[in-house]
Amino acid sequence: MSGQAVTARPAGDRSVGAPVIELRGVSTRFGTQVVHDGLDLTIRAGELVAIIGGSGTGKSVLLREIVGLQRPTAGTVRLLGTDIWQAPEAELAAVRRRFGMMFQDGALFSSLTVAANVEVPLRESGLVPESLVAPLVALRLAQAGLPPDAGGKMPSQLSGGMRKRAAIARALALEPEVLFLDEPTSGLDPITARAFDRLLAGLCEDLGITVVVVTHDLDTLLSVAQRVVVLGAGRVAGDGTLAEVMAGDDPWIREYFSSRKMADANTSSR
Amino acid sequence: MFQGSPALVSPSQSCLIEEAPQGGVLRLSGAWRLARLHELDEALGHCAAGGGPGPAAGLRVIDGAALAALDTASALQLCRWLRGVAGADPGALVLQGFDPHHERIFRQVAEASAGLAEVPADRRYGALAQLGAAAQELGAMLVGHLSFFGMVVSESVRVLRAPQRLRVRELVTQASRVCISAVPVVALVTALIGLVFAYLLGLQAEQFGANIFVVDGVALGMTREFSPLIVATIVAGRSGAAFAAQLGTMRLNEETDAISVLGLSTAQVLILPRILALVLSLPLLVFVGDVAGLAGAALIADTMLDITPSTFIARLHDALALKHVVIGLVKAPVFALLVGVIGCRMGMSGDRDTRTIGAHTTSTVVQAIVGVIVLDALFAVVLQELGL
Repeated sequence: MSGQAVTARPAGDRSVGAPVIELRGVSTRFGTQVVHDGLDLTIRAGELVAIIGGSGTGKSVLLREIVGLQRPTAGTVRLLGTDIWQAPEAELAAVRRRFGMMFQDGALFSSLTVAANVEVPLRESGLVPESLVAPLVALRLAQAGLPPDAGGKMPSQLSGGMRKRAAIARALALEPEVLFLDEPTSGLDPITARAFDRLLAGLCEDLGITVVVVTHDLDTLLSVAQRVVVLGAGRVAGDGTLAEVMAGDDPWIREYFSSRKMADANTSSR
Repeated sequence: MFQGSPALVSPSQSCLIEEAPQGGVLRLSGAWRLARLHELDEALGHCAAGGGPGPAAGLRVIDGAALAALDTASALQLCRWLRGVAGADPGALVLQGFDPHHERIFRQVAEASAGLAEVPADRRYGALAQLGAAAQELGAMLVGHLSFFGMVVSESVRVLRAPQRLRVRELVTQASRVCISAVPVVALVTALIGLVFAYLLGLQAEQFGANIFVVDGVALGMTREFSPLIVATIVAGRSGAAFAAQLGTMRLNEETDAISVLGLSTAQVLILPRILALVLSLPLLVFVGDVAGLAGAALIADTMLDITPSTFIARLHDALALKHVVIGLVKAPVFALLVGVIGCRMGMSGDRDTRTIGAHTTSTVVQAIVGVIVLDALFAVVLQELGL
């Protein structure tokens, strides 16, 4: 199961795809605090999904539960066909090679150069011939939109946006089928943030990578997200295209989008 | 569609070159994936090597009709092979029968890899250059310590002029960490050293029937030399390292920047309380060390050398001049200043990354211990000259 690709799908048809992520009845509690309460969610191959929700609705926790960093209190998490919290270690190791994750502040290894950071997964996997390591690192940096000279720099010498790009380059190293990003545009200026959105859309459309983004950035939702999942009250409070979600009657969703409408109204009336 | 005769077939059937009237055709088949890079490398090697440069040289067309998968890593490998072995420009080749998805990936990689500069490897330097760089680094570090010490002195003067600026609460917190929680380990270590020292002295003194002089030796040695040295070493390892790690982490988290932006001085909020706590605590710890060391010696003297505790104390009265105890206690704040300045300076300097914090923490301990021993030797020489 874990050996074969899930992304295989009829050419040109972007709507059909096998389920890549399946959450069934996921519950998370920290002491008495309930974060998720029987949450169900399916994400299919080739989708670009944005997960939104108010502070404390467990967006980042959900991401950590999907990638196997944090065990949910109850429920099953299947990623690329593998039950993350039941599978033996060998099967997990195979799955870990097939997804990439970008953490909020990059989580680059601060004692390694950017190029060495990207090299880590390539070398550790043992799949890449020695002669191809350096060119592949250069390709990943280019794919993430970094200039070639960034490779020799230490993470501490990079700007916030470049650090995030370097983190994406590392996450892309092993041709992931799924890419998880935690707040990729937070702390970035709007121009850099939009370039980031285009990068994500390109990864999804050109390379066929399934992209799951936790974000607060309305522009990301408007410009690239094919599907928006709203978390609220421990469950999925809204799910669908942006228009479908906006038409829902969840009070938080209404408030969330009305803040944007007001901002638009203010600028246009000036 | 033309029917060419297969010229070369690679063992894994991933690629083969066919001769055709309009030029060579490279037929790709199977899954071109990162997981199979080694296999594909071999297949491409066979493709070219079998017929020499001939078949690979005249490539015009790539046929991808039989491709099951193509990812960017294998596309990069193919592009490099095309450029290097086949001498073809991947962007200029005709793609035939490609899945649109595969074609997009190939085009993208062909374009992206065209002007790709590989990250240059680190430059290596010769032994002499490394020695020079190390010497320069050491010099810069010592000058840095000195200027940091100057900053601490000038900040102290400022606090002396306006004593309300002293962070009493922080000072007390630090003093309790540096002093009170260090008492058990200091007492244990000095008691054991006093015990061992008295025992070894006793073995020698017994041969001359001069058991009682063990008290003279232990009293002088512990109070004047051992206790200050041992306590300073323990504190360098406990508190010096803690200062460097704490301050380094605070700098990494931009907490020190937050302090500056709030209009506070990091020297007054963070550095002075730490150094002052150390300077005040070390004499107290040395006194604890004196007492524990002598107690350890008295214990072994009682059991092994037939010197009862009351005899021990009476002899202590006669033999131990107060000046030795005072000299030991005077050294302590000087050692404390050294350990505190090195710890704080190492925490507040260098790059903001985890490796620097680790390296600086280790370096603090080494520097502080070496510095304490050098200072102790200086004390010995100076006090000798002064006749003390």
